[in-house]
Order: sequence, then structure tokens, then C-alpha cells
Amino acid sequence: MELADRAVGFLLSFISLSIFTYYTFWVIILPFVDSDNFIHNYFLPQEYAILIPVCAGVVLLCLLCMFIGFVMLKSKKKMA
Amino acid sequence: MKHVLKIFSLLLVISALWIGLLQASILPQSHTWLLPIYFIVSLGCYGLLMVGVGLMRFPTCPQEALLLQQDIAEAKGFLKQSGVDVGCK
Repeated sequence: MELADRAVGFLLSFISLSIFTYYTFWVIILPFVDSDNFIHNYFLPQEYAILIPVCAGVVLLCLLCMFIGFVMLKSKKKMA
Repeated sequence: MKHVLKIFSLLLVISALWIGLLQASILPQSHTWLLPIYFIVSLGCYGLLMVGVGLMRFPTCPQEALLLQQDIAEAKGFLKQSGVDVGCK
């Protein structure tokens, strides 16, 4: 039980650190690198650096609103 | 109310800094436009990191768990004696 908790915690922190380094590289370091460097093959074009977080934020907001709507409907059905 | 005011003033300072950076043109303009999104993403990342670290360091206290089980058994026995129906869940 404790090991599963530790594994999940480690996975979460690993994911967050990797996302942070990849995004830092993408947004801050890459524009200062020459265009024909090999490292550009590993990163998507720069427009996606804005698109992906915005899309993820919009999806998160939608899921949140849906969840709140579900809970409100369920509580109203239970009262009636 | 005061905590909200603190957060709001912090947000105001950061946005003033950002607009100042835009006007002064120290960094290239396209760079400066990306800064707020970068900060929001890094804030979300930081939150996730704190959750992960907290999960990893959560203490389980095995001795207290044992004592708790003993307390529960003792309480069950006592209540059964007194006639209270203790449904074993």
C-alpha cells in the first residue's frame, strides 16, 4: 500500500518535471538556437507551444463545468 | 478578504512588469508574448510536483495503526457486552 503510494507520487513528480523541462526548452531556449540545428527535429513547431496549453486549459474547464452540472442535477433529483 | 487582496496585488505587479517588459523591448517581442502562458504552465507543473512529493513522503505510522486496531477490538467487545448491536463492516 505504501509502495503503491510512493510509486504514484514518483510518477507524478517525474511527469511534472519532464513537462517543465520540455516546455522551458521549447519556449525559452529554442528561439535563441540557429534554425538549422539538429535539436529542432525533436521539438514541434512553435505554434503548438501556445495551442497545446490553451486546448488543455479549455478541456479542463469544460470537464469541470460538466462535473459541477452533474453533481447539481444529481442532488436535485435526490431532493425531488 | 485580505488574502484575496494580496493575491490580486501580486497579479497586478506581475502584469505591470510584463507590460513594462513589452514596452522597453529588452527581449524580442515574440518572446515576451509567450511569458504569461509559460508562467501558468510552470505553476501547474509546480502544483503537480508538490502533490507528487507529498504523496511520496506521506507517513503511515504502523505502531499507531496497531494500537488503533486494538482499541477498535476492545470497544467492540465492550459494546457487545452492553447489548449494543455492533455490525461488523
